[in-house]
Amino acid sequence: MALLLGKRSAAAAGGTPRPRRQVPISTYLFVLPAVVFVTVTVLYPLVYNIGVSFRDVGVREIVAGGGDFVGFDNYLSRFARPEFGRALAISVIYTVLCVALSFGGGLAMAVFLNRRFPGRNLMRSVLLVAWVLPSVVSANIWRWMLDGTYGLVNTALGALGLLERDVFWLVEPTTALVAVVLATTWTMAPFAMILLLAGLQNIPDSLYEAARIDGANTWQRFTRITVPLLRPVSMTVLMLLFVTVFKTFDTIYLMTRGGPGGATTILPIHAYLEAFQFFRFGTGAAETTVMLLIPLLLSVFYFRSLRKEELS
Amino acid sequence: MRLGGVSLRRVAALLMAGVLATGCGGGGGTDSAGDSGGEKTLTLWHYYGPPDSATGGALVRLVERYEREHPGVDVQPRHIPFGDFTRTLLQSAAGGELPDIALINAFHTQAMVEAGIIQELDDKVAAWGKKDGFFPASWQTTQVGGKTYGLPHLADAYALYYNTDLLDEAGVEPPKTWDEVAATAKKLATGERQGLAVSGIEGDEGATGLIIRILAAGGDVAKVNTPQATKALTQFKEMVDSGAMSKGILGWNEEDVKNQFANERTAMMINSATYVSTLRTEKPDLKWKVALLPKDAQNPTLLGAENLTITSGSKNPDAAWDLMTWMQRPEVLAEYLPDRNKLPARSDVPPGEDEARAVFQEQLKSAWVPEGPLAASASEVFTHLQGALQAAISGSANVGDALTQAQQKIDQALAG
Repeated sequence: MALLLGKRSAAAAGGTPRPRRQVPISTYLFVLPAVVFVTVTVLYPLVYNIGVSFRDVGVREIVAGGGDFVGFDNYLSRFARPEFGRALAISVIYTVLCVALSFGGGLAMAVFLNRRFPGRNLMRSVLLVAWVLPSVVSANIWRWMLDGTYGLVNTALGALGLLERDVFWLVEPTTALVAVVLATTWTMAPFAMILLLAGLQNIPDSLYEAARIDGANTWQRFTRITVPLLRPVSMTVLMLLFVTVFKTFDTIYLMTRGGPGGATTILPIHAYLEAFQFFRFGTGAAETTVMLLIPLLLSVFYFRSLRKEELS
Repeated sequence: MRLGGVSLRRVAALLMAGVLATGCGGGGGTDSAGDSGGEKTLTLWHYYGPPDSATGGALVRLVERYEREHPGVDVQPRHIPFGDFTRTLLQSAAGGELPDIALINAFHTQAMVEAGIIQELDDKVAAWGKKDGFFPASWQTTQVGGKTYGLPHLADAYALYYNTDLLDEAGVEPPKTWDEVAATAKKLATGERQGLAVSGIEGDEGATGLIIRILAAGGDVAKVNTPQATKALTQFKEMVDSGAMSKGILGWNEEDVKNQFANERTAMMINSATYVSTLRTEKPDLKWKVALLPKDAQNPTLLGAENLTITSGSKNPDAAWDLMTWMQRPEVLAEYLPDRNKLPARSDVPPGEDEARAVFQEQLKSAWVPEGPLAASASEVFTHLQGALQAAISGSANVGDALTQAQQKIDQALAG
């Protein structure tokens, strides 16, 4: 989608400047439904959430309204709490790992599936199942597979003689984090694959043929043709992956509830507990606002670099 | 979109709650039940389970019985999963779409009062005149600031389940004290099997075992850098280290613990009365009994309970009250409770013939509930206790440090 937008604005920027035209007022009426819809469903709740983050809102105020204005107190109290900093750090680690692995895995699968071989389309569809599967299902399957006493993973490793005694994967802090990263990657990599595959199919075969005639080997063709020409799509994919993974809630909540001992408590889970388990909506809203800022900053950076690319 | 009738702020509150609960699914859609043909309609929200489940079905059968005895009253139960229940109530309150009756977790009563979601019932209770039948701990959960905001619906207690075959095989008696628990559990443990299992999963649910152990030592749940709490946590850690208890408890909820027991992966478990008939149906051949919780200085159980409350949005508070009091009649409870697999909140319900349920009912007499400031922050305090259990058992902190850190967080939580 971003690609289409990019192309259109590139065409507008590259073409001759359009003559200014007087637009009749009635034309604006046609965009009114969309504006109202976006305002009611996106902008107002967003502004409301930010408003709550500046007030002292508990369970009474969330229902009846009100709450004293406290300035940045909610934010300051968050930053004063080590758990919040820890949740933020875990969020970043988790997101970066998931994005890197999903992108790498997705790219490998895309390159592989871009070749012609029998059963290719079937394999593409099968891989997409991981992405289509509701996370309630996939997260619970992961939880069962990784269980220490009856889990498939232990049984399999035990049968191979790699495991002497039961390992409780979701109970040890490090393995739990690795497990949720892998579970998320398993879901997100096919999504990256399908977008990257679309990008690959836009690269003309003639380029590869020319390179082959010039004596470029497979690796050279990949690094000199595929990677640079896939750059705009890659940027979009990375951006989408980052935003999606950063706000993940269900997979982790179902697998570990943020445990053990907060080892997988990413920001969305911390904010959820703050608001809906401990009923502190003001500070919870402050956390979600911080949560909003990070992908927002990243997308500003993304659009800038996209524009720079178009200009060059 | 009825923006005309509902203030924009309310709509926004609804949506914001949605924004906060990113990806949590299940919105706050409410089917507003209209009255039809002069029939009184009562809506009742609960988290017991869908109508086809054993637990949710029991409640549905109960209200159907009421409907048969009271022509002209239509009761519409609606199940909302436990994890979404409080959030849905808050959202519905902001949207002005509350049910008549909400069957809430007893420990959330105070928060619901603060939110202005539930009605004070003192006048109705006084006119009814049957409050003395309730166990004091159950009644305590309905009290906020000296006023009554609900009727206890039922109760649940924890006790010690033990596998009689496995205990006989090992030649041991069911333990009566926590010292005996440690010794017995170690004797019962083999490579494949643990001696004892309790739930220790992340969050407040996983604190129950430790709470029971701290209470047994005569300790205070809100003051854990004490000798009593240290003794309790040290024993749990030693039991895991010796193999008497599995490290896996840190990932198990109560259902998982029941499964360990049902599959003879553990010889004993501390669990609630909920699983008495589940075990009988699922594993008819398993030989087991229930004993009172082991003692140290004492042996209180943590109370598990739900309260029936009338919401501030109820259109028929008197009809709702009639249903609630009917549900508390001893003869109604005598039929409902075995079906629902729980215990009465009242002392005037005959215990019946069932041996296991009789033990739970006996255990219930020494039930403990958080009171005062602890009641308001119980969920958070319990979460930090589980944190201490997790830290000590995983070895990321020693017992002393784990409890000191938990105490700091508990103090913060209680300070608000």
